Amino acid sequence: MTRRLLLFCVLLTAWGKNLSASTATAEKRLQVAIKNVLDIAQSAPSDSALAESIGPVLEKYLSFSAMTRRAVGPGWRQFSKGDQNEAIRLFTTLIIRTYSKKLTPGEYPVIKFKTATAPAPGRVDVPTTLLYRGSTYNVTYRMEQDEGWRVTDVVIEGVSLIANYRTQFDAQFKKGGAGAVISSLTQSVARPQ
Amino acid sequence: MKHKTMELFVGLFVLLGIAAIAYLTMKLGSGSLLGGETYLVEARFTNAGGLNKGSSVLVAGVFVGRVEEVQIDPSDYCAIAVMRLRSSLRLPTDTMASIKTTGLIGDKYVSLSPGADETYLESGTRITMTESAVDLESLIGKMAFGSVEEKVPAGEPVP
Repeated sequence: MTRRLLLFCVLLTAWGKNLSASTATAEKRLQVAIKNVLDIAQSAPSDSALAESIGPVLEKYLSFSAMTRRAVGPGWRQFSKGDQNEAIRLFTTLIIRTYSKKLTPGEYPVIKFKTATAPAPGRVDVPTTLLYRGSTYNVTYRMEQDEGWRVTDVVIEGVSLIANYRTQFDAQFKKGGAGAVISSLTQSVARPQ
Repeated sequence: MKHKTMELFVGLFVLLGIAAIAYLTMKLGSGSLLGGETYLVEARFTNAGGLNKGSSVLVAGVFVGRVEEVQIDPSDYCAIAVMRLRSSLRLPTDTMASIKTTGLIGDKYVSLSPGADETYLESGTRITMTESAVDLESLIGKMAFGSVEEKVPAGEPVP
């Protein structure tokens, strides 16, 4: 009985250590990602140059395939392989454009990292506070192990990016299937900035 | 004699009414009125915004369960809501749980938005994708009055 209890305690400690190691790794990766993005924002000469150079960095640290799948929701299973690839491509362009529009070249926000949590195995939430242009925002990065730790959702002041797009895409899908989702994405991307 | 029989019937009727109320109270409390088999899932929110036991759980605006319990996690002061859902409803693991309000100042409820994962939530598991109650007052405050923090000069390094 004592041996079993000891084994349980050892396993629990090992699991706890593993969990804290994964939250530390995820947090470290997020810090590197944010630093890379801000360095680009700092040195970019114009908005268009910022959008162009920030894309590859975001593709490295954000899991756009998981984000698109989750943003579309239950309708994703009825997308053909071609539709899925097209939706991922368009959604990636949309997010990169939206994200880069929020940054002004030459301006540096101050980001404070709070204690990261692991709500499930392979998942880490990193809460931060962001001070930008005199206002403070609570931003939580949801990260998952997908070829290394990558961001799969961003929650700003309690509003999730994925939930926001899921509501819109789900309504589109119910109206006209995969075609309607891709058409609305195409329109959003084609809209002048 | 007739008068006594009448009183007896009235007494029985009142007792029956009290028993019915007691039965309904117990059934509503345990969520048994959901009908059929149920299962429990939990969700963690940074702000439960007044969500309480008995609040509705909806999928696509349809009632599918109730909040069984709302507790506080003493380690990080987050709210954990335990929900009882119909067993017939299988939800993907990337289901999003959001705390919403009926109208601007109405009751709080949990809205579940199913995701695209091939795996499903099982009894006792946790919904990891959540949206807490949006604090409208603080958002309006930020919009109306701005923030008191100093502006950060361009070029200052991130700590």
